Amino acid sequence: MFKKNLFTVVTMVLLAALVLAGCGKSNEGASSNNNDTKKEEVNLYTSRHYEVDDKIFADFTKETGIKVNLIKGKEDELIERLTREGKATKGDLFFTSDAGRLHWAKDKDLLQSVESETLNKNIPDNLRDKDNQWFGLTKRARVIVYDQKKVDKSELSTYEALTEDKWKGKVLIRSSENIYNQSLVSSFISLNGKDEAKKWAEGIVKNMARDPQGGDKDQAKGIAAGEGDVAIMNSYYFGQMLNSEDPEEVKVAKQLSVFFPNQETTGTHINISGIGVTKHANNKENAIKLMEYLSSPKVQEVFAEANYEYPVNKEVEPSELLKSWGPFKEQDLNLSELGENNADAVKIMNEVSWK
Amino acid sequence: MYYIRKMRSQFNSWALLSVIFSILILLPALLIMVQLFAESNENWEHIKEYMLKNYIVNSVTLVSFTGLFTVLIGVSAAWLVSAYKVPMHRFFKWGLILPLAIPPYIGAYTYHGILNYTGVIQTSLRNQFGIKVDQKFFDIMNIPGAVFIFTMFLYPYVYIITKSFLENQSSSLIENARLLGKGSFMTFIQVVLPVSRAAIVGGVSLVILEVFNDYGVVKYFGIQTFSTAIFQAWFGMGDIYSAIKLAGTLMFIVVLILILEKVIRGRKQYSYSTSKVRPLQPKELKGWKKFAVLSFFLSLFALAFAIPFIQLLHWVYMTYDVILSAAFADLIWNSVFVAAVGSLLIIMVALIIANFSRLSKGWTGKFFSKITVLGYSIPGAVIAIGVLTLFLFLDQKVISLYEWLGLEPTLVLSLSISMLIFAYVVRFLAVGFNSIESGFDKVGTVFTEASRTLGMSVTKTFFKVDIKMIKGAIAGGFILVFVDILKELPLTLILQPFNFYTLATKTFQYASDERIHEASVSSMVIICISALSIFFLHRVLEKEPK
Repeated sequence: MFKKNLFTVVTMVLLAALVLAGCGKSNEGASSNNNDTKKEEVNLYTSRHYEVDDKIFADFTKETGIKVNLIKGKEDELIERLTREGKATKGDLFFTSDAGRLHWAKDKDLLQSVESETLNKNIPDNLRDKDNQWFGLTKRARVIVYDQKKVDKSELSTYEALTEDKWKGKVLIRSSENIYNQSLVSSFISLNGKDEAKKWAEGIVKNMARDPQGGDKDQAKGIAAGEGDVAIMNSYYFGQMLNSEDPEEVKVAKQLSVFFPNQETTGTHINISGIGVTKHANNKENAIKLMEYLSSPKVQEVFAEANYEYPVNKEVEPSELLKSWGPFKEQDLNLSELGENNADAVKIMNEVSWK
Repeated sequence: MYYIRKMRSQFNSWALLSVIFSILILLPALLIMVQLFAESNENWEHIKEYMLKNYIVNSVTLVSFTGLFTVLIGVSAAWLVSAYKVPMHRFFKWGLILPLAIPPYIGAYTYHGILNYTGVIQTSLRNQFGIKVDQKFFDIMNIPGAVFIFTMFLYPYVYIITKSFLENQSSSLIENARLLGKGSFMTFIQVVLPVSRAAIVGGVSLVILEVFNDYGVVKYFGIQTFSTAIFQAWFGMGDIYSAIKLAGTLMFIVVLILILEKVIRGRKQYSYSTSKVRPLQPKELKGWKKFAVLSFFLSLFALAFAIPFIQLLHWVYMTYDVILSAAFADLIWNSVFVAAVGSLLIIMVALIIANFSRLSKGWTGKFFSKITVLGYSIPGAVIAIGVLTLFLFLDQKVISLYEWLGLEPTLVLSLSISMLIFAYVVRFLAVGFNSIESGFDKVGTVFTEASRTLGMSVTKTFFKVDIKMIKGAIAGGFILVFVDILKELPLTLILQPFNFYTLATKTFQYASDERIHEASVSSMVIICISALSIFFLHRVLEKEPK
């Protein structure tokens, strides 16, 4: 008779699981632990999910021999993960959209300053951190889109004008949980002060066509469906809709036009997707190389165009589509301030019951 | 004397392992809970003043209505399927479980895609018939919409458990009621509902936990609930203190529900009194009744599976050439692989704890069995951070060992798949455990006691008798856990190692960029694998000794 001991059985199963875990496909690159030769690589935590990013990283590897390893997640959770990992982190770069988030990472002491002639030359002052801890790579505007039939361009002027009684029940905008809206309000706090920003938020809530719901694209669809006349949305979402594989989305987008608000006053709100070297990066040099690569004219062109964004590099022209919307005046603001005011912005929006 | 001593030592190894596993499972939660004593701040006051009431009202509304509707639909479908025969009866028996293959967040994306302005319904009305409709009637992104989504994709929990109870255990009662001249409606009200109370409550409590834990649907629909609030406070405001207060409040509610469940279930134990239990024989239906039942089944199947499935299929057709690549095979492999290893471990741990808890007479065993549920009651993201903290702590220890050995310090554990799999075990142990516990409940302890009396040890009895009697429950538990892990999102997203993607994280990536069409291919694969698993589950349950 053979004896079965519970401990033996359990140990065997655990061992089997461990061996199996070794067969997982991911254990290449960053997670492998080879001590013999140091492989050239750079590890990236990113919240961007575009195919073109993968292609650009592959090109970078081809040119430099530096392998790019990725963890793709949600921005806030990636920040939390970097925080928890602290000194031990394997992440060299943090890449996300919205300056507010990047500032927050800086605030939590997750990033470090980088001195690079190339980056300073390629990226305008206001699109990078005051201490060069993060750098904008692509630029988007938060614009007003309007129904061509119901609204005449001359009726539109500023973000503030959308709070007038004329627009009661006609403004479409998504929830306050969304970082783009938080950053928009942050920018108003910087430019006009807290009281004015709160007044604006109150006015928008009063004029909303419906309770905020869905993403930016849903606001545009709301206009087409006749729920409202104007919507506030990011420029690239409108670009995506114009080029959608769904003909109905294209139809919706074609009924609408883009308007850049506040041209006579403070300028249109812009934001970036940007990148920074982590405080405890092991591959700092490679990380800087990748950043410089991403800001170079050649890459900027594809990088921005793929998602209908504006390149940050002044030498590079925006795509034909964006050019057709015309040049516009931007908010004169160092984007760091969006992050500095974020907490206040969130509170203001909660106080005025912006859902 | 010798036998008693040996029995004792064997039994102790069960106890010891149960304790070890329970501690492992408790640790991540405890690591989060210690932060409860971290310094307080103004955010909590802000949340309390402006938002808390809203969170509670929304969460409770969602849970109550979803609970109510899943019971109505799940129980009536279970009763009709087990008691009556209609055309396609054999198909409906498992077809009505299929909606479980569609994760609610994918269901939500899909239904919004169908119903919105550019969706297929409004588009055809507009283009074919020139009808422009009021958006109010097509708006699904609100609380009633979320209740609809949850009900459609979660009712199978109630349905499966109730159905298998009715089919296998209630035949004599129901047939007696029929013999005594009760009509089918009265049989249902007076016999079926009361006897299947425990099964129904078991199913609906799973539904409730799923709804409390959901992040995908409510986030997409913009409904503020506890789970969105926890994310908002923790990741949005960077305020772990408020997040934990919220998570604590949520856990408190969940514990209340679990206690309530025990009370409602009562002390009644339904275990086999003989080893032969006759299955319920379904009756043939005729006339309008047949038609009514059939159309109920058909519309339920259409709404909860066929319609979203066809919509996704259309989107797959639109986008597959962009999405499909060699890398896609890796996605499938990764998903199936972590799900399989995770489920295997869960079943093993569940077997050990369940066996220990049922054989130990005191409160300790019951206590350990309750711990397993803990992970299921905490939002995935909170577990993820707890697990990450634990593994980083272990890594610190390993690093000092490395340094002492003169090697380069690296993160070994916290960048490995083992961390992810461990987190799955913490999160989904309850699912496997419930299945195995109910298997054990059904067979009772009579056979184990007989075997023990005949001189076999606990462990030997377990392998020779117990495990063979609950084969079905083990397979069922494995498949349920497997499907759950395959669909899991927030936890996987936080704990993924470098260059490691699963079908669920891929789906999320597209969906979070508002590219719902591109998300369809990976969604479709999740659904197909889950559906296949569910089909196997059905086969297993059918084959179980009746």
